[in-house]
Formats: sequence, structure tokens, C-alpha cells
Amino acid sequence: MSEQMILTQTDLAERFPGKVRRDERKGYEGYIVEADALLQVAQTLRDEMGYDYLSSITGVDYLPDGYMESVYHFYRTTGGPALVLKVQTPRDHAVVPSLVSLYPGAEFQEREAWDLLGIRYEGHPDLRRILMWEGFAGHPLRKDWREPYYEEDAKPFKSRWPDGHVYRIEDKNPFHKNVDYPPDFDPDQWVADNDAALYASLAKIQSTLDSSLKTDTVIVNMGPQHPSTHGVFRMVVLLEGETVRALKPVMGYLHRNHEKIGERNTYIMNMPFTDRLDYLSSMSNNFGYALAVEKLMGIKPPERAEYLRVIMAEFTRISNHLFAIGSLLNDLGAYFTPMLYAIEERELILDIFEAVAGSRMMCNYFRFGGVARDLPEGVYEKMRDLAFERLPRRIDELDLYLTNNEIIRARCEGVGVLTPEQAIAFSASGPLLRASGVPYDIRRADPYSIYDRFEFDVAVRYHGDVYDRYLVRLDEIRQSIRILQQALRDLPQGPILAGKPQYQVRVPPGEAYGRVEAPKGELGFYVVSNGKPNPWRYHVRAPSFVNITALETMAKGNKVADVVAILGSIDIVLGELDR
Amino acid sequence: MIYPLQVVFILVSAVTLGAALMVVTTRNMVRAALWLVLALFGVAILFVLLEAGFFAVAQVIIYIGAIAILMIFAVMLTRRIAQDPGPQLNSTWPIAAVIALLVFGLIVFLVQVWDRAASLPPPLPQGFAPLQELGVALVSADRYLIPFEIASVLLLAALIGAIVVAWERK
Amino acid sequence: MSDPVTFVAKWLEAYLSGLGLASGWIAVIMAALGVIALGSAVLLLDILLVWVERKVVARFQDRLGPNRLGPFGLFQPIADVLKLLLKEDIIPQGADKFVYNLAPILALATVIMLWAVIPISATVAGSEINVGALYIVAVGALGTLSIIMAGWASNNKYALLGAFRMVAQMISYEVPMVIAILIPVILAKSMALTDIVESQTVWYIVLAPIAAIVFLIGAQAELGRAPFDLSEAESEIVAGYHIEYSGMKFGLFYAGELLHALTFGGLFATFFLGGWRGWGAETYPILGIGYFLIKSMFMYWVIMWIKYSFPRVRIDQMLNFCWKFLTPLILTVLSITAILDKLMSGLPYWAYVLGMLLSNLVILYFVYQAVGRYARRERQRVADPEKFRVNFPVKSTASPSHLP
Repeated sequence: MSEQMILTQTDLAERFPGKVRRDERKGYEGYIVEADALLQVAQTLRDEMGYDYLSSITGVDYLPDGYMESVYHFYRTTGGPALVLKVQTPRDHAVVPSLVSLYPGAEFQEREAWDLLGIRYEGHPDLRRILMWEGFAGHPLRKDWREPYYEEDAKPFKSRWPDGHVYRIEDKNPFHKNVDYPPDFDPDQWVADNDAALYASLAKIQSTLDSSLKTDTVIVNMGPQHPSTHGVFRMVVLLEGETVRALKPVMGYLHRNHEKIGERNTYIMNMPFTDRLDYLSSMSNNFGYALAVEKLMGIKPPERAEYLRVIMAEFTRISNHLFAIGSLLNDLGAYFTPMLYAIEERELILDIFEAVAGSRMMCNYFRFGGVARDLPEGVYEKMRDLAFERLPRRIDELDLYLTNNEIIRARCEGVGVLTPEQAIAFSASGPLLRASGVPYDIRRADPYSIYDRFEFDVAVRYHGDVYDRYLVRLDEIRQSIRILQQALRDLPQGPILAGKPQYQVRVPPGEAYGRVEAPKGELGFYVVSNGKPNPWRYHVRAPSFVNITALETMAKGNKVADVVAILGSIDIVLGELDR
Repeated sequence: MIYPLQVVFILVSAVTLGAALMVVTTRNMVRAALWLVLALFGVAILFVLLEAGFFAVAQVIIYIGAIAILMIFAVMLTRRIAQDPGPQLNSTWPIAAVIALLVFGLIVFLVQVWDRAASLPPPLPQGFAPLQELGVALVSADRYLIPFEIASVLLLAALIGAIVVAWERK
Repeated sequence: MSDPVTFVAKWLEAYLSGLGLASGWIAVIMAALGVIALGSAVLLLDILLVWVERKVVARFQDRLGPNRLGPFGLFQPIADVLKLLLKEDIIPQGADKFVYNLAPILALATVIMLWAVIPISATVAGSEINVGALYIVAVGALGTLSIIMAGWASNNKYALLGAFRMVAQMISYEVPMVIAILIPVILAKSMALTDIVESQTVWYIVLAPIAAIVFLIGAQAELGRAPFDLSEAESEIVAGYHIEYSGMKFGLFYAGELLHALTFGGLFATFFLGGWRGWGAETYPILGIGYFLIKSMFMYWVIMWIKYSFPRVRIDQMLNFCWKFLTPLILTVLSITAILDKLMSGLPYWAYVLGMLLSNLVILYFVYQAVGRYARRERQRVADPEKFRVNFPVKSTASPSHLP
């Protein structure tokens, strides 16, 4: 932590005496802010101290202590570590002022915290549930909320092996006994009203439109089943002719409450579970989670493991970007041809993953303090061949055929523009942010692992349109190849794991926020430990989820066809978006 | 003696008339437009039977390809109107019926008294190209050049007028 | 035996008159038999096209394509048809049943109707009507109708959007396409397709390359194939007008689309590549069928090549391209061709050909310059880096429009 940082942080506590105090709990950092001073403090942070980027908002339910906490991670887009704010609020009446007016990117994250933890964000413009359905009873991430078939708070469940016999809890506890209806509720008569509010808000916009031609507007549901939404995602679009007048994303169709399951699991059980977040780049997910837990444990992986991690993460970035470019072209209507050529090299990368991790997509390769396995024979040569020969050639080929294609330029240039101010305000990250002219790459801004050793440029473009997002991805692949070439050149011999491999890690109490520059943007894991074998709180700051906040602003006024291209250029994965 | 072409003529005429009747009796506006297409197509086939290929093709291009499609387009854009057909007859229908019958009677009468209606027209001279004649006639100064140009200017004015009407003022 | 089709027709005619039928009835029966023969031949070809399209696409896309059923997967279309026949036939709620069922039939029928005027060899042509060129446009209009019917009757917003797009597209692109057809008509001095083919001692693609290109673009739009496949745009409006169709009704649309593409390949060959003309085709008309099919298939391949290489344009871009570029261009070419045709009518044929070619090349050169300049200006307008470049750190005070 630099000297200047310490200075500004002491400033904050002195500046708001009685309102802001240091978080003195062991293993914790940052400040605890009184709820009524939050907006004022945030304004100071943004306008005077340069913390213009609100990375993550989440909540923690400290049930034994009887309060809840809303946790904020602020960063500067010029680089540097986080500034963490916390607001404590009573469990039975959890109210915290909303930051949407200062940081519009907080919109969906606050909705998520309200949905899952029941923290009411006062002043939020549209505080509806976001991942669960409207009729859901309770807030599942509260520690006293129990699901049907509830057994124990933490895995492994002892009840599953009585006398050495395995049985399924569902056999003992049939379905009907688990359903807990509120009194005077008739499930047969009930109709979900979650769309009523949505359509009403669109109808309001509809009535304000004026057009000299008196054309009819029409509400179209793009999704949940739609080829261009990359999964089960829904956009409710108000159309005037072909022009989009309003757009509301609806998500949660793939929701499985990743975080609740993660809090049941032991630390190491979560490692394969993170693979399922962004299933196209599981190595990066592993990386972020490993960093967070290692921070808590205070260990560092050995040299060879660090190099292997970087190599795998960069290969993941390349394969993800190849996929992103391919599917963007697909969304633009190039019927699968560019896609199939783009993912040809991805197959070879997956071959490498299969060789080292045993699985092509769900790699589960990282361990706390290292990686799971060393390179098998012949893989190093394959990686060298890829990084030095095949990948550069393929990228040049894609560049040649796609970058100056007249139709691609006509379709992408000037479409879905996000200005740098908007991009930062919406907490956009990854290629979406960098295409808007903000050279913010966590590998440079807040280096983790051994990224400070490599020579590479932060890919940045200035127009903030779909075309520049495509170009940024292409640039990033080139930079990743540079990093790979250096890492493969310097890869040292040695152990791959600090200490012995273990099934149960001991994690001291505290909190940690581990974040990596995942291919899709900033992937953060906020982990709170209370010293038990499983995490007390396990939160994922998913880049797809936060990036989608900017979708409506980008889509408004464009054509239907552009919405598809814009969504494709954000590059979402629903496994991560819905969690 | 029945000529095969007569059979075709009677069938096509019946279909055309039936379709025309459906246009005014069906309650669904899109369907009415589609019946109209069938009636227009029947007329095109009648042109073919008269060996007037150019008129048949022009009938299909202009009436079906342009006018009918635009009508359907307009009806589809106004869904609410299409769903509410309203009453099919208004109070003046008896007068309209009388006039229609009178006109029909007049035409029948004229055909009866006109002697050339009963006789076959003289066959065209060998090597006569009607299409070429038509084209030359339209651009000859001593024949139809001026009417042709006046019609063109009128259509151009209509075209510009349509653009002006639809122009969205900022 | 160089002309089996005429031979069979002659024999049948003789046989029928031997039965004592009146000549009028014989003409009707012969016409009906001709329709059935040509229609069946075309539909049989259509089944083969399923395989051709799948195989060619696969090769474009770095895949193998169907290769399990029969040699080279040749029997795959049969399996496809069987599958489509066995599928559940779905009629959506609120659909106009009659129109909904009629649309796919009309879609395929209009394509088959196009074959009525295409001269397949020196002696085989469905109908030698003297307005063949216009007939093609007229039938195209009927094709539009089938798509509107499908889009409207499906009671689905995507289908309706697809139909709207298709109408806008077809009505627009018919204009440059018709004018492009008029240029071979001027060169051949006839609207009958048989005459157009017969007068092509030098292929018209040499005399009128611009018209050929515009016709190809118009055909691509008329077919609704990429980059103009807006009416069924997979990634935007799912499948457009045929989104609700299942089973063989979808199959009819699909077959219609494939056959339509081949038909336009055939039309291109007829207008610009000399149709059935080739070495020995006049003395041995059977060879003409082969030449014609080879040329059609080649153009079909070109159409597929374009479809599977390019992304889709947006609706406003597509209409702008048609009205602001193609239509003025082809109108210019038409007037110049007409004037040159009059001026050079006395010259020997080689000079005539050379003059036409040179005039086209000159126009092409100027158009290329103008388009390049326009594109550069547009690009500058869209993307002015200085306007967007900002210095960091940025004060993020932007509050998006949809939030209070």
C-alpha cells in the first residue's frame, strides 16, 4: 500500500468524525460507515479522492452478531488497491441508502443484494427481485433461511452415510411435506405477477413517445428462448417499427444460488464449482477464487505454479475471445462460418487443458497455494507450438478477413456507443470498458500473481462502439500471446504446490476480495471466513452481470438488429450472469 | 361443340367472379385482400386467354405485386382496425344495388346491339408484334407521347408528394 | 437421338391424334403433360439440392457435411424428408388456418412457376411467351405474397416483423433487378428468354458486367439470402416468417428456398452466361441441358458462397444501398446502354461488344472512386477519434438517462 493511500485513508476517518470508523475486526480492512452518511462519503470518494469505480456491492449476514453488512469495494480507474466501505444495519429492518444516483453501476448489484439478502436500498429507482422470481418467499442468503430438504448448515453432510449406507434425503422426506405455503395461499389459483410490473413500466414509456407518423409501438420479448441471447436470457423490448425505444433485461432463468451452495461447501469443494460460472473460461474463475482464499490464508504459490497459472489464464483468455468474436459474427448474421474458423484453435487450447487438468471445460486445475498437476510429457512443446506458431497465424487470418470487411464495419461502427464516463459510471469492466477508452486492466492497475514481470500493453480503443470492442478483443489476444511467449520462455522447474496437497484447508477468520482480469472483465470473489471449514460468505462479482447494466443505455434508439450485436459485443455467459 | 379453351374460360371466370364476391362479403380484412388477389389473378389469366401476354404480366406485377401487397401491408400495420370489421352494409345499399343492376343491364344491352361483339375479330397480320407497336406508339410524337409524358409528370408529382407527407420534421 | 425430349413429344402427339382427338384437346393434354414432366423434374432436382447445399456449406465452414447415409451421404435428403414428414404438424393458436396452410404451398409453387419460361436447351422451353423477362418479375411478386401470408397468418410478432422486412426488401430490390434484366432485353431486342439466349453469341456478362452484378445482388435480396437474409434473420427474429411452421410445411419453405436459389442461378445463366449455349449444343440439344445445368449450378454455388461468407446488413443500410446506390447506378447504365446500342448499331459486332464492355468498365471505375470517397467520408463522420479521446482520470459524473 503506497504512502499516499494511507494518507487518504486516515483522512476519511478524520473527515467524518463519528460517522466513519476503521474496521478494527481481525482480518478485516476498510471503514465502517454510518448508514445516513454513506451518500456523503461516497460523493467525497468519487469527486475528491478519485475512487470513481464501484467494483462490487454485496451483503453479509452476521447472524450470531445480529446485524447485516452491506460491503462496497471502490477502486480508482488510474490503478491501485481497493477502498472498502461497510454499512451495518439491523437484520430485522435492513435499510441502506442506495448508491445508484452516484454510481449507476450499482443498480443490478443492489437489486441482487435485496433479492438474496433482503437489504432494502432506499432510493433505488427500480428495486425488484432480479434473480429469484417475484413470488419467492424470503431471502435465501440469510443464514436463517432454510431450503426444502434442509439437512445441515455445512457439507459434508454426516447424515448421508449412516452405517456406511448412502441414501438420498428426498427418499426420506417426500416433496409435499417440504412445501411451505403462506397461510390462505392457493397454489392453483395463483398467477405470477412478476411481469405485470415490467409491462406497466414499459407502457409508461410507450405513452410518452410521440411520433408525427402515429406509428404503433409493439412490445417484443426477445428470449428467454432466443438464438442470440447466448443462453436463457430475456430482453423485453419496446419497438417502434424496428427502432428500440426501451429495453428491460430479465434474468435469473439459470439461477441456482451459486453463493448459497458455495457457503455450504468446504473451501476446496468450491474450486470445481467456480468452473460452472463462466463455463468458457474456467481457469480464470479458478484463479480468482484461489487468490481470494490464498489472501485469507496468507500463502503464496511457488514459482512454477505461478507461471503455470498465468499460462493457463492467458490461454483461457485467448479461447474465450476467439469464441466471443465468433459468436459476435454469428449475431451479426454471418452464418457460423467465421465462428467455426475462430474456434478451430480453441480446440487445440482445450486439448492442452485436457492434458493438464483432465477436463476440457470444467478444468478444476487450481489449488490453494499452487496447481493440481504438473505438465504431462509433450504438453510444453504443444504450448510452444501454439503460442509461437499457430495462434499468431490464426489471429492474423481473422484480422485479414474480418477487420476490414465492409459489412462488419457498417454494422459495428458507431453502434452501441458507451462513452468513457458512462462506462466507468456503469462499473463496466474488461473489453467493454477498455473499448470506451479507459485503459483499466487489473493485470496492470492492481497487479496480482506475477503479472508485473511481463511486458505487455493494455489494449485500449477510443470509440466505445461494437467495432472497437471487437478490436480490443483482437488486440488482447495478441497481448496474451506476448505474455504466453514470455511465460513459456521463463517457465522454471520446481514444485507446483506450497506444502502438501490437502482436502481440508484451515482458513483463519477474516475477509478477502480476490479479483482477476477474467476474459469478460473483472471477476471478483469476496470470501468471509469465521475459521470453520466452510466459508461464512462467498460472493461472486461476475463481470457479465455487472456489464449488462449498461445494455439499455447502449441499445436505446438503435435497431433490433443492433441490440443483438450490442449484446454479443458485451460477451455474456449465462452461467455467470444468473449464478 | 365445346372448345377446350371455353372450358378454361368458364372456370376462370367463375373463380374470378366468386373471388370478387368474397372480397365484399368476407369480414376479415386481410382475407378480403387475399380474395382480391385471387380475383386479379383470374383477370390476368383471362388476358392470357386473349393472347395478351403483356397485359397479363403487367396485371400481375402492378395489381398483385404492388397494389395488393401494399394494401395487405397497410391492413397488417393497423391490427386493431383489422380485428373490428364493423357493419358490412350501410343505409344506402339498396340505391347502390339498383345502380349496379342498371349498369349491368346497360352493358348486356350494349353487347347485344353492338354488331362487332358477335363477330370474330380479323386475324392479325403475319409477323405483327403488338408489344413493339405499343412501345413505338407510346414514344411517337404524333401518337401518344404527350399523354404519356403528362402521366409521367403526374406520377412523379405524386411520388414527391408522398415523400413530403411522410417526411419526419425534426 | 440427339433430342429425346422433342422425339417423345412428337411421338405422343402422333399417338394422341391417332386416337382421333381434336387438335385443341391434344394441345391441352400436351401442355398438362409438359407441366407435370417439368415440375417433377424440377422437384427431383430439389431433393438433390438439399444434399448439395448441406455438403457445400459444410466445406465452406471447415466441416465434412452429411457423410453417413449412402455414398458421400447422398441419401441424406431422403432421411431429411422422412423426418420432416413424421414431425408433428403444429398450427399456432389464433392462426388463420387456411392462409397459414396455403402459404408454404404458394411459396414452392411460385418457384416452380419460374421454370415455365426458362429455355433449358435449344428445343426445350416450357413456354416461349414474348414477355418472359417480365413474367419472372410477376412471379416474384407472387412469392412475396406467400411470405406475407405466412407472416400474417402465424400470429407471431417475429413472423410479422419478418414479413414486414421481406416486403420492404422485395419491393425495393425488384426495381434494380428489373432494370438489370432490361439491359439484356435491350441487347437482344426481345423480352422472350429464348431469344435472349439465342442472340448471345457473346455472353452478355461481357457486354453488360454491371447489369450482371446488380442482377446477382438483386437476386440475393429476392432470395432472402445473406447478406440480405433479414426476413429470417436467425439471430434477430429467430426464423422470421416461417418461425411457427413445423414438419413438411417448413420443408416446403426450405425446399422452395433451395430451388429458388438454383432457379436464380439458372436465370443468371440465361440472361448473362448464354443459357444452354455451348459447344455443339445447337446440333445436339441434349448437350444444352447439360451446359445449362452446369452454369446454373455454378451460379448457385456463387450464391451459396456469398451467403455463407458475409454477415447480415441492417434494414436501413439495406434499403439505403438499394435506393441510393443500386437504383441510380443501374438507371445510368440502362440509359448509356440504350444510347450506345443506337449509336453503334452500324458497327461490326466485335466493335459493338468492345464498346459496351469499355463503357461498363468506365462506369465501374467512376463508381468505384465515388463509393470509396463516400465510404471514407462516412467513416470519418462515424469515427472521429479526437472527438472521443479523453484524458485520464475521468471524473465520472455521468448519470445515465434512464435513471433519475
